[in-house]
Amino acid sequence: MDASLLTVQPTAPEPIYRQIVGQLRRLIAGGQLAAGDSLPSVRDVAGFHAINPMTVSRAYGIAESEGLLERQRGKGMVVAATRKAIQTESHRLALLEPQLQALVRHTRELELPAEPVLRRLTKLLGE
Amino acid sequence: MNAMLRETESTAAPLSVSGLVHCYEGSNVLTGVDLTLEPGSVLGLIGRNGAGKSTLIRTMLGLLKPLRGEARVFGEPALKLDDNTKARIAYVPQQPEALAWLTAQQMLDYVGRFYPRWDQDFVRNTLERWQIQPNKLLAKLSPGERQRVDLVRALASQPELLVLDEPAAALDPVARRELLREVALRAGESGTTVLFSTHIVSDLERVASDVAFLHQGKLLMRCSVDETKERYARLWLPGKMSAAAPVASLSRRRYDDGSLSLVIERDTRGQWPEAAHLPGARVDTLGLEDLFVEIAE
Repeated sequence: MDASLLTVQPTAPEPIYRQIVGQLRRLIAGGQLAAGDSLPSVRDVAGFHAINPMTVSRAYGIAESEGLLERQRGKGMVVAATRKAIQTESHRLALLEPQLQALVRHTRELELPAEPVLRRLTKLLGE
Repeated sequence: MNAMLRETESTAAPLSVSGLVHCYEGSNVLTGVDLTLEPGSVLGLIGRNGAGKSTLIRTMLGLLKPLRGEARVFGEPALKLDDNTKARIAYVPQQPEALAWLTAQQMLDYVGRFYPRWDQDFVRNTLERWQIQPNKLLAKLSPGERQRVDLVRALASQPELLVLDEPAAALDPVARRELLREVALRAGESGTTVLFSTHIVSDLERVASDVAFLHQGKLLMRCSVDETKERYARLWLPGKMSAAAPVASLSRRRYDDGSLSLVIERDTRGQWPEAAHLPGARVDTLGLEDLFVEIAE
């Protein structure tokens, strides 16, 4: 994997380390990154995006503690072998949680009842 | 004994000031500033024009004697630094003026002799990449070019403490990105401590580990960049609910229609104030720039 595959938006309200973890989760859950694939070094990511290496280390550390990545001798960070777990439905659903929370928030702000929102969502999903 | 001395040297904060007060011709510029930089941190200092950023930087380095308060560099009083300590620091002012009768090359050759870890290759490569004619007199360079030469000088000395006053002003986007990369990698890999002031908040968001916001002579906020983004948000309350607004907020603005906009902060359990959950209330997360505009207005 190349450092340029990650995107970083420094001005976004979401901290950069979380942007990176979020992308790793999605890339791995979606199968674009397979077990054993190498990740770019902290230096490569920090250098390419001109961001603090500590931010990248933090993101990798979190991804490692979540079991997404593992440290392999001589290869640096690789996608963890036991990645089957993330493919379960509940794991993938968990990745949607922030967007669902945002939807709930917007619904409340618009003072909409749940029912028409759920109807619309069901329709969109069925399409 | 030597070992002990080295011990205190290495543990002393690269920069530390307490109770700084300063004024020019009767108008207060700094009104009690306390600030410490941890080794290896990258602190971005932001504030409006005239907020006192340059004064604070100059005072921190002992280039300006404050009216009151104390400044230390690597544990030494900033006003009485010895040569060894000076060799560990590099400072790039907003408008470099020194040694203007030399060419860029002459100045760099001359200055380089004072630094034990001077990186000649870096000088050569960077002058070329940043399109500076080495044989032109410094006095004849544009202010932007002058600052670029000075950035080369500062980085080539491989300092332990790098202080940059508005470095971005002189650089085009490509060179700016290069400078940020240098700053980020040196902080991360060589443990260089960096203090830089800037107007360009996105630069700060890229490389800074910490942010300090100087407003009307005081530090309004000082925390890690990530934490700042996670901890603060803007709450908008419609007029009929504005009575429920939390009392404590960093800024508060009432609109003509009676609605209210506030900057709120998560409590120790990570929760927003109760008013954020009222029907019709809106919570917007903020980038740093929006946050500072909210607070500084």
